Amino acid sequence: MEPARHDEPVASHDDAGVRERLAASHVALIGCGGLGSNAASMLVRSGVGTLTLIDFDVIVESNLNRQLFFRDQLGRAKTDALAETLLRINPDVTLRLHQTCASPDNVVELVAGADVVIEAVDCAETKAMIVTVLLRERPDVPVVSASGIAGFDSANTIVTERIAYGLYLSGDMESDVADNLPLLASRVAVAAAHQAHAAIRILLGYEEP
Amino acid sequence: MTIDVALFAYLSVYQPDGQGGRQSRPLEIAQGTTVAGVIAQLALPDAPRVVFVNGRHAADEYTLSAGDRLAIFPPVAGG
Repeated sequence: MEPARHDEPVASHDDAGVRERLAASHVALIGCGGLGSNAASMLVRSGVGTLTLIDFDVIVESNLNRQLFFRDQLGRAKTDALAETLLRINPDVTLRLHQTCASPDNVVELVAGADVVIEAVDCAETKAMIVTVLLRERPDVPVVSASGIAGFDSANTIVTERIAYGLYLSGDMESDVADNLPLLASRVAVAAAHQAHAAIRILLGYEEP
Repeated sequence: MTIDVALFAYLSVYQPDGQGGRQSRPLEIAQGTTVAGVIAQLALPDAPRVVFVNGRHAADEYTLSAGDRLAIFPPVAGG
């Protein structure tokens, strides 16, 4: 089979309207760890044209068990390293990088221009802050948040629901890293795929139940 | 007056009927009670949460009206 040219969507389909819609779309990811790095790759492979990547952190060894980084990227900014990987998937994707921590003062500005925001941070307080500030300040921009992705429970307990106007939630809602549950690549990737897929569905005009 | 309250995830055990579950149920509150007042009345833990009234984000200072549907969602860590 011939490799796909980069001017074609990596996920092949023959609906030009879908392709154009995704190519014209912009998704902001707050957090480029287990959720954000994997969701970003899926969005690029699906043909989303612009991503904003937001993360303050650098890559450490303990990230490699679930995050889309490589041993030769240890010590580098997650935003820079992820951008490099995404450009290897699609050199035409437009990337906006912010190596910073989302705060109540900057989060609206950080996600400016995005059609959908994916909340993919680690800490529960920051998740609540991001969702609260964005729903208050930008109720027109849907947020796909994640909660409950840890541990050994069935992957089938991870679901995506719209729990309020403009707020979609992926996860099992319960499994908490604070309870010493591990973050497994398989289950985290399920949640990341849920978030990426929810974003794509929103961009294409579908509604979650 | 009566409002409807839904408590998601681990907060559901704080429903006064002790039944758990995320489905909403009625709660009697005094006229003029705010979201913060309901949180105090239900003795919810001081943990990160996102509050909605009638499906839209609401601040803790929001004063509830009869028939409002209050939903409280507590995110948990992991990313």
